[in-house]
Amino acid sequence: MKKVLAAALALTMLAAPVFSVPVKAAEAQEPITLTVFRGDPGDQPAEDNKIYKKIEEEFGVKFEFEFLAGDLDEKLGMMIAGEDYPDLFDGGNSADLIIQNGALINLLDYVSPEKTPRLWAHIEPQLNRIIEKDEDGNDVMYIIPNYGLADGEQIVNQVNGPAFFIQKQVLEWGGYPQIHTLNEYFDLLDRFIEANPTDENGTPYTGFDILCEDWRHFCLINPVQHLMGRPNDGEVLVDINSDDFYTETFIDKPYAKAYYQKLNEQFHKGLISRDTFVMNYDQYIAALSSGTVLGMFDQTWDFNNATFALQDANMYKNTYVALGLVYDPEYVDGKEIEEHYVNGSLPNLRRGFGISVNCECPERIVAMWEEMMSDEWQMLFNWGVEGEDYYVEDGRLMMTEEQYANSLNNNWKLHNKAEAFTQSSPKKQGWIMDGELAGNCWEPANQPEIVFGQMSEYDKAFLSAYGYQKFADFVNPPIELAPYGEAWQIDYTPVDIAHQDFLDIQDKMLPELIMCDPADFDALWDDFVEQITPSATEFGEYMWGAVQAEAAKVLGE
Amino acid sequence: MRSISKKNELSTGRSGSAGFGKKLTKQWQLLLMSVPMLLYVLLFNYGPMWGWITAFQDYKPKKGITGSEFVGLKNFKWLFSRPDFLQSIRNTLGMSVINLVLGTITSILLAILLNEVRHTGFKRVVQTVTYLPHFLSMVIVVGMAQNIFASNGPINQFLTGVGLIKTPIFFLGEGKLFWWLVGIINVWKEVGWNTIIYIAAMTAIDPSLYEAASIDGAGRFAKIRYITLPGIKSTFVILLIMNIGHLMEAGFELQYLLSSSLTIDWAQTIDIFVLKYGISKQQYGVATAAGMFKSIVAIILLFTANTIAKKLDESTLV
Repeated sequence: MKKVLAAALALTMLAAPVFSVPVKAAEAQEPITLTVFRGDPGDQPAEDNKIYKKIEEEFGVKFEFEFLAGDLDEKLGMMIAGEDYPDLFDGGNSADLIIQNGALINLLDYVSPEKTPRLWAHIEPQLNRIIEKDEDGNDVMYIIPNYGLADGEQIVNQVNGPAFFIQKQVLEWGGYPQIHTLNEYFDLLDRFIEANPTDENGTPYTGFDILCEDWRHFCLINPVQHLMGRPNDGEVLVDINSDDFYTETFIDKPYAKAYYQKLNEQFHKGLISRDTFVMNYDQYIAALSSGTVLGMFDQTWDFNNATFALQDANMYKNTYVALGLVYDPEYVDGKEIEEHYVNGSLPNLRRGFGISVNCECPERIVAMWEEMMSDEWQMLFNWGVEGEDYYVEDGRLMMTEEQYANSLNNNWKLHNKAEAFTQSSPKKQGWIMDGELAGNCWEPANQPEIVFGQMSEYDKAFLSAYGYQKFADFVNPPIELAPYGEAWQIDYTPVDIAHQDFLDIQDKMLPELIMCDPADFDALWDDFVEQITPSATEFGEYMWGAVQAEAAKVLGE
Repeated sequence: MRSISKKNELSTGRSGSAGFGKKLTKQWQLLLMSVPMLLYVLLFNYGPMWGWITAFQDYKPKKGITGSEFVGLKNFKWLFSRPDFLQSIRNTLGMSVINLVLGTITSILLAILLNEVRHTGFKRVVQTVTYLPHFLSMVIVVGMAQNIFASNGPINQFLTGVGLIKTPIFFLGEGKLFWWLVGIINVWKEVGWNTIIYIAAMTAIDPSLYEAASIDGAGRFAKIRYITLPGIKSTFVILLIMNIGHLMEAGFELQYLLSSSLTIDWAQTIDIFVLKYGISKQQYGVATAAGMFKSIVAIILLFTANTIAKKLDESTLV
């Protein structure tokens, strides 16, 4: 027994120096436990997680995480009704609700150039977007954006947002064609599925899946704006060339009809299964992970887990390429549309942690964030512990194959990464600007040595068949961010009910339109337009005003 | 209950104002024992009714009940101006009636069948197997149902296999089938559980009645018809009255989990409506108004059923 103990002690001592990378002498603070709510589903970190252990050592702070289960708005509604708020509060996509109900404190009372120089330097370039006015006209900042405040030139190795996706094997089978329009896309899928109705195990392929569950219905209702050549503005289309940022809802317009008529046609060809409309998110991810779904419209982050599963199973040919499709000229009066799926980088406004009014130690949390914006902590959060999770060679950050495999493994991450905390916290992104590591990337996923060095042989061959360097080459480079940002970030709670009606009618009738008898399509479309016009008008008009107001903030009018 | 209290009055004799005080002192132990229950009801059932006041307010949690603005009947007007609220009343009642009728018929049927089984081992096994699903979480039940009723699920495979239908039925996406789907799932889940009370009622029937009937030459069906069924009649009526009081509760989880935007017109119950507009959209006043409406309808239904049962000279609940 003694021997075992001694060995354990020795091991601990050996491990100690490794675990003590960025420790700074901190004044002893009494230990506290912060309650944390994350507005998205997630997994509890492991008890022995090394990063949280370090945070506890350094700051005396422990976290008690609660992740979303079920519907976000319902959960938030319950919390608001009971004023039952956690200390650190990430309201996810519905943070507007908790802000409006006074759940968050104004961080400007704690964040300033003097008190928190690092945090201030972090948000300064985008201050005019981040700082808002409250009802009384005071400057407020409730949430420091969790993403999108990147240093240096924008990194676009792959499409991270919306796109039409297609399995690599389909493009390979088709002889690596250039696919740029809706018709080309569905034509290729049609031909592929006709030639290969099932995969090698005999499971039938699904041509095109449309996820419709809850807020993820953007897969159903968002594509039209992109087909019209705009990046993601949520449920409206902004005319960027007009002087007054003319904004309208697109779903009720004739150019939207073309898309759903095309889907109707594809449905009757059997490319789309009706089961897709009653599928929930888990079933969708399971379907994608099985490698039998050939294409879909989605956003990259939305099906990351399926991608990881496919990579894990070495099914690279079943992973997806993001394509930037636009309407064929025949659908839009012969107009040639230029594709813009990738936008200039923008702060993820009103997304991330806020500090709730119930929190007893806001200063301490802000001070902790300030300290965590140091290069040492950011390296620890992003890359991990040197020698253990990554290594440095000639000033370049690298990972061995094993380290890279670990970094993709969800279970490993629960023990060795603090993602539940860091994903919603302020963070450095982009390029490391100074110090001896300058020129590397803050995030391993962007580091060229990782992106290209660890790329699978299949992907390398696939890209070279196209003569491309990276997967982002399938779409146009990012355009300049519009002054109003991206309209999906705009708070629509003042027209909440109209917006709900607007979405409900789409959720209900778009699947009907896709599945209806082609002969009835025109009549049903007219019915749809008639039903949706009142709420669409109210929502659209509100959004136009809001887009103008956002633009005015940045243009300084 | 009323018949019982009548009997009590008779046995204690005249009860005047003087007698009342006497009775109080005489029964003080009983009264003392009822105090915790009374407190419980006051605290948890009557206390929260104070919150009904928010049904007439534009309630904002930030301002509280005292600070929120009174808006009269605006919340109710809004509710009844919404076609989907009227739809959800219809759906609630529709699914409730289906649940009630299907549930009662199947559980009485199963109870009778089990009652007729003479082999105790077999009877126990069947009973256990049929009531086990009651303990399953609705999430699991719905997950199973989604697989079973999928377009390529076993039911469709069977139906197309035996040639009853040509193309698979879209069970999960067809609004008109939704109520029946809910009914079937509820029966599957609850039939065994609901049977227990009927079986208990049947065991209370005096066996000598069956013996006498046998001597008179009654067969199995006659015995069921003339002894078993009348024997469980009062249980049936009491359960019916109680269930009618619950007609406004068609369930929540099952519809919430099983529905999709395709079936929402037939799946949205009042509870789901309340969750969607009241909680998610922070219209707490509207949520309370809908809850209040539900309670009032439930009370009316309960008393109506009770009166009808009384007229039919059956045992009643209130």
